[in-house]
Amino acid sequence: MLAGITGRRWVFIGALGLMGLLLFVPGLHSEYLNLTFRNILMFAAMSYGWNMIGGYTGYVSFGNVVFFGIGAYCSAVLSTHGINNLFADVALALVVNVIFAVLIGLPILRLRGHYFGIATLAVGLAAFDVANNLDVLGGSGGVELKQIDQAHFYLYYYAMWAVTLVCMLATFFIARSKLGYAFVAIRENEEAAQVLGISPTRYKVIAWAIGAMMGGAAGAVFGPANGFLDPGTAFAIDNTVYPIAMAILGGMGTASGPFIGALLLSGVNEILQQHFLTIHALFFGIIIVLMMLFLPRGLMYLVGLRGGMRRWLSDLQAYRA
Amino acid sequence: MSVASENGVSLRIEHVGMRFGGLRALDDVSFDVERGTILGLIGPNGSGKTTMMNVVSGVYKPTSGRVMYGGKRIADVPTHEVCHLGIARTFQVVKPFASLTVRENVAVGAMYGRLGAKRSARDAFARTNELLELVALARVADRPASDLTIPDRKRLEVAKALALDPDLILLDEVMAGLNASEVDEALDLLRSINARGVTLIVVEHLMKAIMSISRRIVVLAEGKKIAEGTPQEVTSSPAVIEAYLGARFAKRQETDRARREGG
Repeated sequence: MLAGITGRRWVFIGALGLMGLLLFVPGLHSEYLNLTFRNILMFAAMSYGWNMIGGYTGYVSFGNVVFFGIGAYCSAVLSTHGINNLFADVALALVVNVIFAVLIGLPILRLRGHYFGIATLAVGLAAFDVANNLDVLGGSGGVELKQIDQAHFYLYYYAMWAVTLVCMLATFFIARSKLGYAFVAIRENEEAAQVLGISPTRYKVIAWAIGAMMGGAAGAVFGPANGFLDPGTAFAIDNTVYPIAMAILGGMGTASGPFIGALLLSGVNEILQQHFLTIHALFFGIIIVLMMLFLPRGLMYLVGLRGGMRRWLSDLQAYRA
Repeated sequence: MSVASENGVSLRIEHVGMRFGGLRALDDVSFDVERGTILGLIGPNGSGKTTMMNVVSGVYKPTSGRVMYGGKRIADVPTHEVCHLGIARTFQVVKPFASLTVRENVAVGAMYGRLGAKRSARDAFARTNELLELVALARVADRPASDLTIPDRKRLEVAKALALDPDLILLDEVMAGLNASEVDEALDLLRSINARGVTLIVVEHLMKAIMSISRRIVVLAEGKKIAEGTPQEVTSSPAVIEAYLGARFAKRQETDRARREGG
C-alpha cells in the first residue's frame, strides 16, 4: 500500500514461491518436519485471521483464538456424530464462525482502542470456560476426533496448506479492493472515513468476520489433524500470542507479513526450544517489545523504503507521536 | 418538508442549539444557504463555527432545532450517509490517511461517496486524475499522504471532499496557515469549484479572504447568530463591530493612526 508497491509485490510472489516449496514437505517422509511445518502453516493462517482486524482496521484483538477454537470444536462435534470429512468440517466452521463473529462483533466493535482489546480478551477467556463446562464438547476431559486412515496422514498437511494459501490470496486481493481501502481508512482515521461514506461498524464487522473464517478454517483442520481436543488445546495462550507476534514481526496490514512472520518466528522458536526449553517464551516477549520500539510496522516496512536511516527515524518519530 | 428544496435553498438551519453539559456551543441559530452560492461563516474563536460544521455534517446531533437538506433532516441520517445526500466536508485539523498515497486518499472518497456504489476500485482510481489535477496535487499523487506539506494537506482535504461528488461542501478553515500567495491560490480553487455549481460554506478566520469570496456572510459569537448579510452589510453592522471586529479593528485602526502620526 506504500510507495514501494513493486517491491512488496515481489515479496508476495516470493512468499507464494515458498508456499510452493512447502508442498514438498510430506515427500521428505519425516513426521517431525511434517508436524512442524503443518504448525507453521496453521499459525500463519491464524495470523492472517488476526491481521484482517488487527492489521487492516487497526483494532487490536486478543480474542481471535475463539474462532480457532470454535473451528476445532465444529470438527469435534461432527466427528462425534460420525461425520469425518474435512470439507464438512471447514464448511461448518465457516458458517458458525461468521454467525458468531457478527453476533459478538456488533456490540464489541463499537468500542474503541484499549476497551476493544480488553473486551476481546474477555471473550477468549469466556470461551475457554464455556468449552470446559459443556459436556457436549467433552468438557474439561476433552474429546477424541476420529482420524481418517493413517495412510492419509499427509492429508491434514495439505489441507492446512490449502487453508493458508487461501488466506494469503484472500488477503492480497481484499487489500487491493474497495473493502481493503475501507478497512485501512478506518485504521488511519475513523472519523475521516465516516465522513467519506464508510460505515465504521459495518466494515469492522466484515473484517472481523473474514478474520474469523480464516482462524476457524485453521481450527477445523487442526481438530482432526490433532485427533484430540480439550479446552486447553483449543484456546491455548500460544494460539493467542503467536499469531499476533507473527503479524507484528512480518508486518501488520500486509499480505505477506503474517506468512513471513510465521516462518521466521517458528524457525527461531524451534531452535530456541531445543536449547532453552524453559525460557523460550521469553523470546517472544523480547521480539514483540523490540519490534514495537524500532520496527512497529514490521519487516515489510523495510521493503521499498526510500530515504534510508533518516526516513526510518522520522517515520518512527511520527509513529510514536 | 418540501420547503427546503424550494426557492433555491440548499441547506436550511432552523433554530439549531447544541449543548455540551453546561456549555451552550450553539444557541438558536437559523439561516438558509442558497443553492450555488458561497456563504461565509465567521466569528471569533469559540463562537461555534466548527460545532456548526459538525452539526451540518451529521457528526453531532443538535440538542434542539434541526438542519434540513434536500427535504431530509440531517440528524435522522447516520453520519456515514450524510455524504450520500450530497454534503461533503473538510476538517480544520486535517485528517489524511497517512499511510496511503495521495491518490489512494482521494480514491477512497470516490469509492464510498455519493456515486461510490456504482464504482469499482478501478473506476474510483480513474476518477482521481481529474481531481488531483484540479487541486494541483498531480505532481505528488503517488507519495504517501504523510509526506505532504500543510498547504498540500489542505488541498488533499478539498480533493477528498470533491471525490464524494457533492452539491455542498463545508470548508473548515482550509486557508488557515497558508501564506498570502497560497491563500490567493486557494481562493481561485474555491471559485472554480463553485463555478461547477457546488455550493460552498466557508469557515475562515481570514477576514480579507472571506470578504472577497462570500456572497453572504453569517456571523456567530458565543454560539449566537449576531449578523447576516452581504460582506458590506456585515462589516457595517454595529453588533459585529462590537462583538467580533470591534477589538481587532479598533486596535488596528488605532495603531495605524499612531503610526501615521508618528511617521
